[in-house]
Amino acid sequence: MSTKLFNLKSSQARWMILFSYLIALALDTVALLGHSSPIVPPLTLFVLLYWCAHFLDRTHLFSAFILGLLADTLYQTTLGSHALLFIIITFLMLRHRLRFKTYPVWQQAFFISLYMLAYQLLNYLFFNPVLNSNDFVQYWSMPAISILLWPMLSYGLKQISHTTAND
Amino acid sequence: MQFVIAFTLAIALMAADHYGQLMGSFRSLLLTTITPIERVATLPKQLYQLATTDFTNIDSLKLENQQLKTELLLVKAKQQQFLNLQLEVARLESLLGTAGEINTQSLQIATVTFYSNNPLSQYITLDKGQLKKVSEQQTVIDSKGIMGQIISTTPTSSRVLLITDPDHQIPVRIQRTGQRGILSGTGHDTTQLEFIPKNSAVEVGDLLESSGLGGVFPAGYPVAIITQIENKAGNPYLDITASPIADLSQSHKVLILSQASPYLNFDEKLTDPADVN
Repeated sequence: MSTKLFNLKSSQARWMILFSYLIALALDTVALLGHSSPIVPPLTLFVLLYWCAHFLDRTHLFSAFILGLLADTLYQTTLGSHALLFIIITFLMLRHRLRFKTYPVWQQAFFISLYMLAYQLLNYLFFNPVLNSNDFVQYWSMPAISILLWPMLSYGLKQISHTTAND
Repeated sequence: MQFVIAFTLAIALMAADHYGQLMGSFRSLLLTTITPIERVATLPKQLYQLATTDFTNIDSLKLENQQLKTELLLVKAKQQQFLNLQLEVARLESLLGTAGEINTQSLQIATVTFYSNNPLSQYITLDKGQLKKVSEQQTVIDSKGIMGQIISTTPTSSRVLLITDPDHQIPVRIQRTGQRGILSGTGHDTTQLEFIPKNSAVEVGDLLESSGLGGVFPAGYPVAIITQIENKAGNPYLDITASPIADLSQSHKVLILSQASPYLNFDEKLTDPADVN
């Protein structure tokens, strides 16, 4: 089973990847409806980073660009700004994804939180959001939340990939 | 290499969108893509509401109907007075020799299908789009006042930037004194009145109405009420916070105004059962 999974090409799992992006986008949209949105990490970026580390046969930068544009539409920001953020974070991941793949899940979560910190920093520089004291704490605690979220997401996506590999 | 291409493309897109306003149709295309996702995202909330709604009994419905009928009667009575006043103003203006004109717009009812509460962006999505001849820059109001303006449309939906969005500005005047200012959103359900000099006669509770300058918003619609005035040393203008009058986060049915109609015209019947529900 693991050999199958290891040999799985991204082209074989195209629909699964696309579907996971759609689900992640929908979940991000649900988070936008709630009042606690600054604390919820961008799940689309999470899923993108996961596939980036999982399927090594492509760079995923095109996906990052398109997903960034959709995020721009969703958050009503200047077209291309989230795309640029997503591309930068994906590029950072591409630089060390081979090592990242060998880490245990908790170490991966730690690195993901660093990526999320970079994301929030860039986000802050780009959009300069007006944050009141409560939002301020939530905004900067998002990387910490991603430490908890990554193992769950990683487990979930691993299960889905296993199922696809077995089909 | 791919990174450099994507990076350059993103920067070029940002420049085109920010400076050139060239990306209207592209944004519309992206919005059309994301609309089904928005619909799916609101499903859990709708299901929750459906599950928690009490089954109203017939008596309370009758009572509500009675109340609505009374309210309608009162509104109709006021409408008669309004028409009377309109004629009166026209008469007086002709006596004075000025060519005044009372703003009349046609209305379209729309339902809010999605909203964003994020401090970065505050918008709502409506269920009417290009197919219903909704276009950009149309003003959206609810029963109390101005909510915002339409910024992008798809064939079946449109997105309204609320007056509380950090990117939104609306020219207003203080109703009591007629002083003009610019009302900007803060991203936190409030707005800020800018460019009011320190020696101005502004009070907490003053009503701000749209001034009609700039040509996007029609004049005379209530926008916000001043809630706080701060006089900071070294700043030539007052720091004024105002709270929107319209129910930005609660309104379910809203009205889209269109300019250039000589008479009040409802594009849809107000008693459409689908809209009442």
